[in-house]
Amino acid sequence: MKALDRKLLRDLWHMRGQALAIAVVLAAATATFVLSMGVHRSLTATRDAYYAQNLFADVFASMTRAPRSVVDRVAAVPGVARVEGSIQQYATLDFADRLAPVRALINSLDERGQSRLNRLVLRSGHLPRAGEPGDVVIDEAFAKANDLRPGATLDALIYGSKERLTVVGIGLAPDYIYALAPGDIIPDDRRFGVLWMGEKALEAATDRTEAINTLSLLLERGASEADVIRKIDAILAPYGGTGAYGRKDHVSHAFLDNELMQLEAMTRVIPPVFLLVSTFLVYIVLGRMIRTERTQIGLIKAFGYSDWAIGWHYLKFALVVAAMATVLGSAAGIWMGRAMTRLYAQYFRFPFLEYHMAPSVFLLAAGLAIGAAALGALGGMRAAVRLAPAVAMSAPPPPVYRPGLTERLGEAAGVSAIGHMILRHIARWPWRSAITVTGVALSMALLFATLQFLDSSRTMLDSFFFRAQRQDLTVTFTEPRAEQALFALAQVPGVIRVEPIRAVPVKLGNANRQERAAIESAMPQSQLTMRIDSDGQVLALPPAGLMLSRQLADKLAVRAGQRVRVELLGGRRPVQFLPVVSVVEEFIGERAYASDRTLEAIARDAAPVGAALLRIDPAQRDRILTELKAMPLVLGVSERDAALQKFEEMIDDNMVTMLVFYIGFASAIAVGVVYNSARILFSERAHELATLRVLGYHRSEVGIVLIGELALLVVLAVPVGCIMGYWLAQLMTAMFSSDLFRLPFAPSRASYGWAALVVLGAGMLTALVVARRVLHLDMVRVLKGRD
Amino acid sequence: MDTAAPPLAFSGTDLRKVYQTGETEVHALRGVDLAIPAGEIVVLLGPSGSGKSTLLNIIGGLDRTTSGTLFYRDLDLAAMDDKALTRFRRANVGFIFQFYNLIPSLTAIENVRLVTDIAEHPMDPAQALALVGLQDRQHHYPAQLSGGEQQRVAVARAVAKQPGVLLCDEPTGALDSATGIRVLETLARANRELGTTVVIITHNAGIAAMAHRVFHFLDGRIARIEVNAAPVDPAGISW
Repeated sequence: MKALDRKLLRDLWHMRGQALAIAVVLAAATATFVLSMGVHRSLTATRDAYYAQNLFADVFASMTRAPRSVVDRVAAVPGVARVEGSIQQYATLDFADRLAPVRALINSLDERGQSRLNRLVLRSGHLPRAGEPGDVVIDEAFAKANDLRPGATLDALIYGSKERLTVVGIGLAPDYIYALAPGDIIPDDRRFGVLWMGEKALEAATDRTEAINTLSLLLERGASEADVIRKIDAILAPYGGTGAYGRKDHVSHAFLDNELMQLEAMTRVIPPVFLLVSTFLVYIVLGRMIRTERTQIGLIKAFGYSDWAIGWHYLKFALVVAAMATVLGSAAGIWMGRAMTRLYAQYFRFPFLEYHMAPSVFLLAAGLAIGAAALGALGGMRAAVRLAPAVAMSAPPPPVYRPGLTERLGEAAGVSAIGHMILRHIARWPWRSAITVTGVALSMALLFATLQFLDSSRTMLDSFFFRAQRQDLTVTFTEPRAEQALFALAQVPGVIRVEPIRAVPVKLGNANRQERAAIESAMPQSQLTMRIDSDGQVLALPPAGLMLSRQLADKLAVRAGQRVRVELLGGRRPVQFLPVVSVVEEFIGERAYASDRTLEAIARDAAPVGAALLRIDPAQRDRILTELKAMPLVLGVSERDAALQKFEEMIDDNMVTMLVFYIGFASAIAVGVVYNSARILFSERAHELATLRVLGYHRSEVGIVLIGELALLVVLAVPVGCIMGYWLAQLMTAMFSSDLFRLPFAPSRASYGWAALVVLGAGMLTALVVARRVLHLDMVRVLKGRD
Repeated sequence: MDTAAPPLAFSGTDLRKVYQTGETEVHALRGVDLAIPAGEIVVLLGPSGSGKSTLLNIIGGLDRTTSGTLFYRDLDLAAMDDKALTRFRRANVGFIFQFYNLIPSLTAIENVRLVTDIAEHPMDPAQALALVGLQDRQHHYPAQLSGGEQQRVAVARAVAKQPGVLLCDEPTGALDSATGIRVLETLARANRELGTTVVIITHNAGIAAMAHRVFHFLDGRIARIEVNAAPVDPAGISW
């Protein structure tokens, strides 16, 4: 080994604490990068393979009822590669020991027990047998949640008639990676399941011999989705078609896409923060190292080493740190990626969900780490290269302090001599001080932005469950003509209030923009559902015209006062133009609202009742649920409390895991920054501190010089961190919002407080650890030599 | 003078100091008996490594003996823990070093104030600077002062607390003769006007002329003590 490399190794060992602190921050960058990029790639690869192998369709359409022959007409549309017609039917399952009805969505499988598109993956058991109408395959998550195995029987109410079903298999399909019951905002595997049944059996059970109500199709490569959809809509219009749609409007696909989008956002926001801090750290540490080694540099140059050799020597220091970070960060990233993948497996139903890492992810991560470290090393390298040997070998001139702003401020505030030492040192090294403040502030910002997600979710929950939705139960019906059901519901003892929710599916358009949505109405004096604005105001439904949610208005690029094109889906397709009267700031979904009268005018008829909202006497809940279960028209009942609980569980599961990671990350930054600043400070001031000890200052008093400066910088970082955090959290909520959820930016004061507390705590503990070195100051030796 | 022995500032018997460096033991002091009368100027002379600095550090409370007894007046320095030694330094000792050891981020007067802030009966910092002739350079930073001026600030800092003893390790080692003599004059003045006991380590045998007593060190022992009946004024020292 060359002598210079040996020096490098010794330097690294000598500065192991500082090198490790930088490596940890840089490793956090690598880890988050490997984590999010790795999971993103794994998830995308898994999804794409699953879609391809099981022929996930490109376009979907549903209708009231169409003859099977319509499949051939659709297949003849140019651009359509393959079509599948099937039946989808909602049903209620009666679990004897369960109060609330369980909802199921039954899909038909063709006569060979297999489908041409959205193919079922059998996990255990077998497919429904011909001639065994009760055979069903159930989805895996539902099976697990309800502890159902092949051989189990289910009592179902399908299309008004009771059927006994036998579970013969457990499976999965690419169109139900994420399965959501109608009207729900979060999956509930115990109360909602997907079933597959033989085509003939389902035809018979739903009185749809040789008829279908659902179409899926694959497009030919290069075919225009919009063109195909227009042609299919025309074909299906006479059969009550509700408008074909592409993958982007498919619930399962959209939720998965949303998750991928969030992972991508994470890759773009989090690692850069760590990389920036790492660059700063390398810059200050290497800068200090080169200042202390200037005589050595001069000597080595005098021996005949080239400038380049010296520069390369110090660059290697940064590269070794980057290499350590890559190894450390990749290991952590893989470990966290596994944990996150397991978390995904709970919410997304894949037949295989493998966390496999592409080598390119590691290479990219290593590249970023090396780039960040090398960038930080440039300043120091330049200084080392520029040092002339003769100049370098003489002692450095003493640091020059000049009276400035701190003097005037200090004098005015009656600052002590020690106070002046602290203030002037900060002013003497403004860049390093700024870097310390920025680094600590960034760690606080990151933590704050994460905590803000909790606030944001809670605000969303509060707005949705406590302000907008005030019903205890939501009842969905097996068919839309449920007017008489409302009266029946009102008669149930214990039911205090019943309000219908009417909804008609429409296509809204503005210029060349078009969105599918349902226009909902509520009773004029509704007490159970309200439209709440972002500032908590209740917005009344406009007597005429529409109210759009912010998300929908943005997508259509309309403002209040403009008109939108409203095209009724299903049956006749009259096109009307209606004014947008108001825009409501809602967080979940894209919604449109209108008064009952407006909705009737749009539908040219009494709009169908989609659901009923109930307020009940909580004491009679069990009895009410039992009675609802017995009503043939009732498809399902969602309890607000159960949904709320489910939502909170999800937040707890995901967010708490995430929070633990981020508290760790933020602390790592704060510790890394403060540790390095403290070590540099200590090495620069060891001489002065020893002098103070000689003059009769106690250790604790001397420690103040060190701790005081660090404390001042860390405290200064708090307001900066609040501002940066505010900005970062806003950026992140914007980047994490999607078609499905719009995250409110709603930071709580507690989040500022906690973020500040964690960072202050981590920073000050680190400073104290370094300050303990004051204990071992060798006064005699320090004073003997000059520096 | 001969009738009653003068009170002693420092008294010690059989002082020994052993440093453990790696596997070898270095005997820095090999049994020193010490008697430094209060109010005198004592010069320690001797070759490098003979134990002068070790003794100075020990009597200044910067270091401890390995064995032996050591008193400052009636304070038992050998029995003191770190805290007590710090209090001792704070109350009684002023140090002056070859390389000044000023705090570069503090002005001249602030460097002095560093000491007066924690002393029991300090002088006014401005007065201390006036004592060394630097009343006009109070607000200059060390980097803006010459070597001699910096050392005089160090002297002002040392005398400002009105210490019982001034311990000086090569105070003129980095200075030219004219500047060196000015510094020594300040030390003599403190001794004369404030009654401060002054202990000076030097390689410059000429300085011995200003001392009441000269301790000659050799191999960790005091080989010889010279009593100077008529100490000369520093101005008369041949450099």
